[in-house]
Amino acid sequence: MAADRIELPQGTLDMLILKTLALEPQHGWAISERVQQISKDALQIQQGSLYPALHRLQRRGWIKAHWGTSDNNRRAKYYELTRAGRKQLAVERTAWRKLTAAVAHILESA
Amino acid sequence: MLSDMLFRLKSLFRRNVVEAELAEELHVHMDREVEKLMQRGATREEATRRARLAFGGADKVKEECREARGVHFVETTLQDLRYAARTLGKNPGFTAVIVLTLALGIGACTAVFSIVNAVLLKPFPYPSAERIAFPWRLAPHGMQLGYDEIPWGRSDFLLLARESKAFQFLGAFKGDSFNLTGAGEPVRLNGLRASAGFFPALGVEPILGRTFTAAEDSSGNEHVAILSYSLWREQFGGDPAIIGRSVDMNASAYTIVGVMPAGFTFPRPEEMPGGFTFERDIRVWVPLALPTGPPIPGEDSELAVVGRMSPGISVPQAQAEMNLMTKHLEDFYGGKQAVGWFDARVTPLARQAIGDTRRPLLLIFGAVGVVLLIACSNIASLVLARSLARHREFTLRAALGAGRVRVARQLLTESLLPAVVGGAVGILFAEAAIHFIKVFGPANLPRLQDVALDFRVLAFATGCSLFTGILFGLAPALGMSRINLAESLNQGGQRVSGGGTASQVRKALLVCEVALAFVLVIAAGLLAQSFFHLLSTDPGFRAEHVLTFELSLPEVKYPDQEHIAALYQRAIHSLQSQPGIESAAIVETLPIGGATESTGIRIPDWTPPQSGISSYANYTITSPGFFATVGAPILRGREFLESDAATSMPVTVINDAMAKKFWPGKDPIGKKVGPGSSKYAAATIVGIAADVKHLSLREEPGPEMYVPYTQKVWPSLLTMEVVLRTRLDAASVVAPARIAIHSVDADLPITNVRTLASMVDDSVAQPRFSMLLLGAFGGFALILACIGIYGVISYSVAQRTREIGVRVALGASRLNIFGMVLGQGARLAALGIAVGIAAAFGVTRTMSSFLYEVGPADPATFAIVCAVLLGVASIACYIPARRATRVDPLVALRHD
Repeated sequence: MAADRIELPQGTLDMLILKTLALEPQHGWAISERVQQISKDALQIQQGSLYPALHRLQRRGWIKAHWGTSDNNRRAKYYELTRAGRKQLAVERTAWRKLTAAVAHILESA
Repeated sequence: MLSDMLFRLKSLFRRNVVEAELAEELHVHMDREVEKLMQRGATREEATRRARLAFGGADKVKEECREARGVHFVETTLQDLRYAARTLGKNPGFTAVIVLTLALGIGACTAVFSIVNAVLLKPFPYPSAERIAFPWRLAPHGMQLGYDEIPWGRSDFLLLARESKAFQFLGAFKGDSFNLTGAGEPVRLNGLRASAGFFPALGVEPILGRTFTAAEDSSGNEHVAILSYSLWREQFGGDPAIIGRSVDMNASAYTIVGVMPAGFTFPRPEEMPGGFTFERDIRVWVPLALPTGPPIPGEDSELAVVGRMSPGISVPQAQAEMNLMTKHLEDFYGGKQAVGWFDARVTPLARQAIGDTRRPLLLIFGAVGVVLLIACSNIASLVLARSLARHREFTLRAALGAGRVRVARQLLTESLLPAVVGGAVGILFAEAAIHFIKVFGPANLPRLQDVALDFRVLAFATGCSLFTGILFGLAPALGMSRINLAESLNQGGQRVSGGGTASQVRKALLVCEVALAFVLVIAAGLLAQSFFHLLSTDPGFRAEHVLTFELSLPEVKYPDQEHIAALYQRAIHSLQSQPGIESAAIVETLPIGGATESTGIRIPDWTPPQSGISSYANYTITSPGFFATVGAPILRGREFLESDAATSMPVTVINDAMAKKFWPGKDPIGKKVGPGSSKYAAATIVGIAADVKHLSLREEPGPEMYVPYTQKVWPSLLTMEVVLRTRLDAASVVAPARIAIHSVDADLPITNVRTLASMVDDSVAQPRFSMLLLGAFGGFALILACIGIYGVISYSVAQRTREIGVRVALGASRLNIFGMVLGQGARLAALGIAVGIAAAFGVTRTMSSFLYEVGPADPATFAIVCAVLLGVASIACYIPARRATRVDPLVALRHD
């Protein structure tokens, strides 16, 4: 396992899940795989924290779940973005950009 | 927001589905992860291990998911409740002890609080009741009446009413009774004569009509009446047009001017001072109509006064004004001679209404608080012990990911559940107790019949149960949240690192418990001793086989003393001729029947044996044969005879206290004494009788003189009590007595039929009630202490099984072991008793007003209670000690 993996900053997991689901509905394991793939293994999701996050997002109405059949023909619970979830993703993306830009600005200027 | 609610509700109500789905989801995740790792070349075992590591504890994840769903709080509480119910159900003995302990503690607390609530806390049904106060006239210093308050005279009240600025309204009142005729059956009504200021002072408005005007409160205009609600409903059918109607009372016409609201009853006799007698249930009010004009020598003083203080005036200010009034009155009556006769005290309604009942109630309230405290510490101890026994279970839970707060919360739920159940059962107990107290409690407890479980009481009971639950739940919960996981798991057995502190706590609780129980039992013991001293005290008469009743002669038929005396003479003769009646007599006030008349006295040719003796005495009218009938011994001389007639020499019998006070060391027989007013001739003392007690068995009888009704006496004789000494059971002569009275006047009603024994009994109702309640609480405290000792000692024996085994293996005898366990219990009990003795010395000193002929530090009581507690402690230790002797060393040494 890569030693240079970084811990996910607090609060960003929700955003990453939303982003992952923005492409297509996915089930839990696939979400964690996808996040790792996209980040080229730089980010490590603590797999255990994925499921509480999914419940939290459902409660907020940003994602919804239904049972479907997975690529290897097994029953799996699929999550997809709701309209509110899509809006939320846009909001969080904007906020994130502002934050990283500001942080970068401070770090570069020093 | 809506989706949030729906999601939470779904999670809550479809909990099983949601949980199953989560389990399946996690399972799927795991399988995929394992597959992935195996594809990369790992063995199944290796893949599974790595997948688990990456995932973390599945149960922890599930718990976090539940939390994320947002129904965590409700859900866990339900879960904890289910678990608590199951655990409690598994230990029925433990549960029963806790619930019963709590139920009795809370029940007793609630019942007593209900009484305190009704008697001390309930607001008065008068507007701005805090402004209502009673300006009482006080008996001159040194006059031992058994009470301080004496009635005002007519002129005194008129002066007060005229001069007072501190009181916006002042109303004088006195009891009276009326025969109502012309509205159905003739009825005798308890009534009140009240001056115009009476109703404004109380501030109560009639529901119909009006109260008295100042004009009606004057001689000649007073033939108006105000009815009570019940009289209006029962006798006049609630007629809304009753105002202005005329009724006949005592053969005169009265116009009805008002009807008072339901429930208005004033004064309540039990709330008035000992020197005033009022009937319960006043049903009609008529103007007092005091004549104006200068004071007449020898005029009666018979008025009670109630006032409404002017706005902004405080009780001390009103008192200050009354002190000035005292000076006024002394000047008014001619200075020196009147000094000391008009002192006054302003008592606010709240204090007046509570009277002497406050102290016993506070005593009982304190006792019940102590019981609840013992109950709580007992329960804390039980729960603590059980938590220790369950230590492994909690360690396991912590290892599986339960947080400290979570474990503490579960423990709290587990203790709240029995507390709530105990509280509910306690309320039932309280209901039963209140019912019991209403039936058997002393009738003179003010507003006893108003006692009911009400909202505040319920809140109090709930508060008690919650407080108890938190109190005994939190202590172990706090101790438990400091568990060191690894250490406990490694230790493995039940022996626990925290056990040392916990058992110290339990021992401390036990010592407190024993000390509290000791104090309670001491208090109960002292009260019981006082009570039995009271019963064995000499009342001055023999109450057995004496029947009494009241005769009240209508003034129209018996207008003067000759007619009255003739009627009584015939009645007595007729009674004595009845079978079963040994002797009959009449008396103005019965022994133990409350305050009698008292008067300033005059003794011709007498030099006071010492200065500062106030010359007054109780003054009781009676008949020949009275002393023999009530069994009051004549110590010297003779009692009244038939020959003591209106024409012969006036005679008097005095009591022993009077002889000792006025003629110490001399023989008063043949000396003369008379009432203060020279209107009445001084009478010659012919006999000395034993001191007869009037107010209570506790009283120190004051000087008393008796005069025969057959001679010219003061005051009126219209109402007299009849006493009959019977051959058999006193109650058996009620019918013959009725026949005898009706044979002399067929219209004369017989009222207030009682036996003298029952009156003596009633007079000790209050101390008996206090003693019984405190005794019950004391017994209850003993039982609880016993349970507490048993619990601690048997736990300690279980803990020391191994040690005991070693001791036996090394040659300790059964007796040694038995003694060791017993000694441990006895040491704890002795420590508790030592603390208890110190506390009891402090507590019992505040009880001295309840005690009679026993000191607050009575050594015998203390010794006996010490022995009782040690005995109880030994009994509690016996079973665990026996168990300890049966420890098999082989089994014990293998025992983990």
